[in-house]
Amino acid sequence: MKWTVHDVSMYEKEKQYIDTAVVPLLPLTFSERAKVAAADGEFMQLVTNEIERQLKGRLFLLPSFTYFASETLDECVERLNRWTSELNEAGMRHVFYVTTDQKWKETKQGLLGALFFLPSIPFEHMDDSYKQQIVQEQTTKLLNAFISQWV
Amino acid sequence: MSENKHRVSRRQFLNYTLTGVGGFMAAGILMPMVRFALDPILKEEAAADMVAVAQVKDITTEPQRFDFKVKVKDAWYESEEPKSAWVYKDDKGEIVALSPICKHLGCTVNWNADKEHPNQFFCPCHYGRYTKDGTNVPGTPPMHPLDRYEYKVKDGKLYLGKAKPRGGA
Repeated sequence: MKWTVHDVSMYEKEKQYIDTAVVPLLPLTFSERAKVAAADGEFMQLVTNEIERQLKGRLFLLPSFTYFASETLDECVERLNRWTSELNEAGMRHVFYVTTDQKWKETKQGLLGALFFLPSIPFEHMDDSYKQQIVQEQTTKLLNAFISQWV
Repeated sequence: MSENKHRVSRRQFLNYTLTGVGGFMAAGILMPMVRFALDPILKEEAAADMVAVAQVKDITTEPQRFDFKVKVKDAWYESEEPKSAWVYKDDKGEIVALSPICKHLGCTVNWNADKEHPNQFFCPCHYGRYTKDGTNVPGTPPMHPLDRYEYKVKDGKLYLGKAKPRGGA
């Protein structure tokens, strides 16, 4: 399910079945790394959208948790944990974070939800069929990781 | 001589030329108008909305997943929506194309994914199950069988149309 009127009205009807929130963690920057960050964001969006399509009856894909790359990790963790508690209170038993940003690795223990990493892939000069293949692969991997968290 | 018998007067000649030229001009104006008026009717017939999905020779008795894309027009925004189908041949050799969308809440079901219940379609979200022909297994969350795609075979290729729902089990 996505953050749209149609899906939210479905969520309200079927609340007892939807127990998982997916939050992409998306860093922003306008430094020389802007291009890489944007490419990572795009890739993450492709993968999370595909996962949402396949598991839409149980998970809610939230709009990205955005932060500037210059924000300190502690600030981000605090804000993210606040999001997570709010989601838990709303009935989401599982909160999954998806990110390509390696800085979250340092704080895996301090987070209230489960963290999943996607590789950062230089997408810019890739042809479409290869791109699709990579998205397909990463989607399957992440999908299985999600499903094993549920059991 | 015939030329002498049918002498064309200046008045007649002018009449002919004017009706001729006027006719062409009228046709030139009317043709596009008629064409525009008829266009929507012609267009709908042309777009049968069937998409080539697979080669018929690739289809076995074991369900296989085929992915394809359908053009969707939402007001001004045109996009391609990815879709999938589980396709196999049944005992009579007829092709069955099932939609993978779970009738419970719309997840994508997989063939043979649950070890405890082999040879069934399985939905990972709430453990809904369907038998091979798409009928929902009673006692699992889904209330209806999987939709079936309309299909057509042409030149050895399988074309799929819209997914049509079937009655509940």
